[in-house]
Amino acid sequence: MNAVQRFIRSKVLLLTAAILIFAMCLSVLVQTQSQAALNRTVDQNSRGLYDILVQAKAGSDGSLMQPEIATGQGGVSFDQLQKIRDLSGTSVAAPISLVSRVTQNLETPRLEAMDYLGFNAGLVGTATAGQPGGTDPSKWPEAQSVLSDTPKKYRLTASATSSDGSSQHTLFKSTAEGSLGKGKLVEQQVEGGNSIQIAGPEGETGIKFPAPAGGSEHNLFNLTVALPMAPEVTESVVAVDPVSERALLGTAGDFLAPLEKAPPADARSAEAVGQHLESLFTTGIGMQELEEGPDFLGVKLKYWAPIMTQYQQAKRNGQLTEDSQAIPLIVRSGTSLDLKYSVKIEEIDESGNVVKEVGTAERSLDKDYLPFVSKSPFALSWPGSTDYSKLLGNSANFSRGLYSPATWSTNFASAPKYSDGSTAGNGAEDKTATAGEWVTVNRLPEKSANGEAVDQTQRNPVDERAYRENLETGKKLATPLAMVYGTFDPAAVQEAAGDVNRLPLGGYDPTPMTLIKDAQGKDVADTALKPSLSATGLVSQSAGAITDYYGLAAARGYEKNASVIDAVRVRASAAGSWKQVQPEVDKLAAEIRDMGLEATVVAGSAREDANIFVPGYSKDDAGKESALGTVQQSWVRQNAADAVAGSLTATNLTLLFLTLCGAALLTGASTVSYVRLRRSEAGTLRAMGWTQRRIRSWVLEEFAVGAGLLAVAGIVLSLLSWNVATAIVSASVLALYLGAAFFAAQQLRHREVVDQEPQHDEKLIAVDSPLTFANRQLSTHRFNAISLAVAVGVFGSAVGGLIALLIDIPRAAGASALSGLAAASVALPSIVLGLSGVAVGLLLTLVTGRFELKAKRRYLGTLQAMGWNPDMLGQVRFFENALVGAVAVPLGILGALGIGLVLAPYAALWAAVAGLVAVLCWIPIATKVVK
Amino acid sequence: MSNDLNLRRVRGNNEAEAPVQTRANTIVKEADHATPLELSNITIRYGGGKNGSDAVSVVDGFDLTLSAGEMHCVAGRSGSGKTSILTVGAGLTLPTSGRVLWEGDSLETMSDDEIADRRRALIGYVDQGGALIDGMSALENVLLPAVPDGEVEQRREMAKDLLDLVGLGRRMRHRPEQLSGGERQRVAIARALILGTRVLVVDEPTASLDRASANRIISILKDTTSDGIAVLVASHDHELVRLSDTLTELI
Repeated sequence: MNAVQRFIRSKVLLLTAAILIFAMCLSVLVQTQSQAALNRTVDQNSRGLYDILVQAKAGSDGSLMQPEIATGQGGVSFDQLQKIRDLSGTSVAAPISLVSRVTQNLETPRLEAMDYLGFNAGLVGTATAGQPGGTDPSKWPEAQSVLSDTPKKYRLTASATSSDGSSQHTLFKSTAEGSLGKGKLVEQQVEGGNSIQIAGPEGETGIKFPAPAGGSEHNLFNLTVALPMAPEVTESVVAVDPVSERALLGTAGDFLAPLEKAPPADARSAEAVGQHLESLFTTGIGMQELEEGPDFLGVKLKYWAPIMTQYQQAKRNGQLTEDSQAIPLIVRSGTSLDLKYSVKIEEIDESGNVVKEVGTAERSLDKDYLPFVSKSPFALSWPGSTDYSKLLGNSANFSRGLYSPATWSTNFASAPKYSDGSTAGNGAEDKTATAGEWVTVNRLPEKSANGEAVDQTQRNPVDERAYRENLETGKKLATPLAMVYGTFDPAAVQEAAGDVNRLPLGGYDPTPMTLIKDAQGKDVADTALKPSLSATGLVSQSAGAITDYYGLAAARGYEKNASVIDAVRVRASAAGSWKQVQPEVDKLAAEIRDMGLEATVVAGSAREDANIFVPGYSKDDAGKESALGTVQQSWVRQNAADAVAGSLTATNLTLLFLTLCGAALLTGASTVSYVRLRRSEAGTLRAMGWTQRRIRSWVLEEFAVGAGLLAVAGIVLSLLSWNVATAIVSASVLALYLGAAFFAAQQLRHREVVDQEPQHDEKLIAVDSPLTFANRQLSTHRFNAISLAVAVGVFGSAVGGLIALLIDIPRAAGASALSGLAAASVALPSIVLGLSGVAVGLLLTLVTGRFELKAKRRYLGTLQAMGWNPDMLGQVRFFENALVGAVAVPLGILGALGIGLVLAPYAALWAAVAGLVAVLCWIPIATKVVK
Repeated sequence: MSNDLNLRRVRGNNEAEAPVQTRANTIVKEADHATPLELSNITIRYGGGKNGSDAVSVVDGFDLTLSAGEMHCVAGRSGSGKTSILTVGAGLTLPTSGRVLWEGDSLETMSDDEIADRRRALIGYVDQGGALIDGMSALENVLLPAVPDGEVEQRREMAKDLLDLVGLGRRMRHRPEQLSGGERQRVAIARALILGTRVLVVDEPTASLDRASANRIISILKDTTSDGIAVLVASHDHELVRLSDTLTELI
């Protein structure tokens, strides 16, 4: 029988070689795939909108960057911007600055009660052209009204509430009473003919809230009640260069195209613009042009009404000066500010008692809200009302928008300040917000639009905590007018910025905050914090508007070529993955630093949640301040790509190493099994006259066949994968196998058995029960028992490692979003390797368990023949496994803990628990199997 | 294998060697039944497919009534079913058909636990080669049957006496690997007698032993019968066959 035949006949050797080849193939292939997936994920997600953030000074001294980096302090000049653009490695250099805070009053809300009197001749002349129904009496509905023919007395309670997501705040509650009834047409004789007027019924008192609200009046379709003024909303404005911003954002930045057509700095006189718009109406304007917006230097000004209204009011109030400029703006559509306005309507008797609840009309600021302009009137509908004013055509473009010009302030809010807290094992950082001054919101204007004094007793101002610094810069300005060129959707901009490596864009796109713990540190249901009325609060709104750098100069009063740029976002011209372009990006950053600017490489960054404790968030009536709790906000982790790649590569290699360790143990166990099987055969050969040397050759020949197979497998794998790791792994496995071969050959040497005189150690525990019997057997077959215990410990460790992987690979890879994504890409291969480890551990227990299976069967049979009943035999089996388990438990726990600490530190304790459970579960299973 | 020729009772034999002095009678329980072991129409088959067509019939229609103090020898060539009859008689395996009666009680009606308890009280089984437990001294091996009843300490002196009886009083602290084949057999016999066994079932006790050792074993077995213990022994040892009271030769 030649060596190959003997190798095949020796199932143990065959099994060992097969396991090693399998482990080698699996480990190498899975690890290679895993590494490729990891590199791919990191590469694909490591370059965001831009590569380098340029500021006058570093915004952060750590590697975790605050998402809002625009400070309003400027520091970068236009000359420096131009030099950055002139660098050969620059593709796009997009500047960004905070401009100002702008406080605007919402238009006076109104309550509309349907009071349509039906078709009448007086309406004919105002019907919209092209709408036949407008002039056809048969198409008009019958008269309808929610009011009664005779006036009834009503009580209206108007209130506004806002919520930051965590708590709700009532900003005011105001009540007015009076009688309202169905309107009527009154025909009067006037000079030259009859005049038809709309009037209330006899005895109607109307309802009037305190000034600046103007009271109730009947019109063609509704009874309108003017309501108390809604709270002021403070917006922020940012300035960008429209051309470079579009280059940065791609098609998501197309909303900025109208700004590129905005007039130059010397053609923005507010007076000239206002006069131009007035002249359009003096000379006449077609309905179609009105709906599309009148042409202003090549741009259709859809929102012409607000600027014209502001112009007229500013002119009337004497606010308009030669320095007043019209500032072109692209405004945000919608708001995340939670402001709800509601009116409760009750019918009451003469004594003021409630006769009937009519209902409550509500409206919130939502997607319809546009800063600086009203898309539609802020009107609330009386319950049961239908709006028939549409019968006159689409009047939305005629909305007047704001009643008064917005208040522009050169006080603007820079990004909040934070102090550092503790840092977790995976790099996650805690912060504490720095509380600032208190600011007062919910104030009323001193005068109403018609110049009347405002009743200030109807509303109490509210204090809100400022977390941003007010920075006084620039010179005193003449009142600017907001000229709205278009709108943008912040969600679209955010989408363009990407998710994983979302980079700081300043006040342009503030990152949301989520409340996760209360002030006492207890977990709360995740609550998204909403912005407050003040722009200086912890959470700010997305910028209300975007203007260009001429707008910035107009609003802030900077002199020409002042250093007004807060930051420049630079994209390198080099194309490709992060790894490919990293040297060129670093070179470009170095060149920018040579200009005396701070250049932070943000390519290879990723967003990462920071836990921020927020002190002094609110105060009670006694003025005592209390904390909000802990909020979570996505910040930006620099060098996340390198950290993640390094960490997960290490995880991959560790898994590979552990799997090979398992294979090594298995090889050892198989070799021992081989030695035991072949020992008697070696004795026979020796008796036949074979020398020790020949016997060793005889053994090594068999191993040589397996080694040959392993070498071939290793060479094939190395050639296929073409990487050094594969070659090293293959060589290691081969070395391992050859080591086992020499060990086996050594063990088959003839050893003289010395018949030692006694004998029995009396210190041994006497055998008088199944437990002591099991103990004696294990101590007699100590090697087998320890081998089995080690195997079970390895099994437990592998299970623990697998659990650790399942629970916490993402966190182990770091705290950034990229780590989660990259970990997800390697999760399957990692779990396959983890499962392989469990399989190796299980196989190891089977191989080592077989060491003494024959002996175990024999003595269990002997005990049975002596009359030990099945229950006692079961106890013997159980106690044997329990004792092995007792040795394996610490091995399993420590092994699992160690693997957990290496692979997934946060899940290490769970890994240890899993290791313990796995070993404990093995005991009854093994007891059953042995039976 | 035909039904009528596979076994036959050859003779009864009352000849015996001079009895070895024994103290075993001090531990023998009073027999409460004249026939401690009875095998009736025993058939043993191994293997076979679903229809049993490939089954190998080892023993067919075997009868045996073993009286107290009787030594019965089952002889025959290798593979003739000697060990099978012994394991069936000791209740370690169940016959394919037929009845096994221990002191008149059929094993068919007993649970595994009842069989184990009754075996402990009635049967002492000595495996081929002795089957001692590794890691335990000769004395501990002898005491093993007393473990289930928690009588290890009570029977310690008895065990020493039995080891003295089989001539191993000075080797009681030796482990199995330190004993010769004959010594192991004698320890196994002592172990089989520790609980006051009434039937000793011994499988090939003298196989692979030298003549002197074999004679020693045979002498011990013969002595036990004088204490009223019935002995069922499988062997093709001529001396053992000659000294047994009754003989079944399997063909």
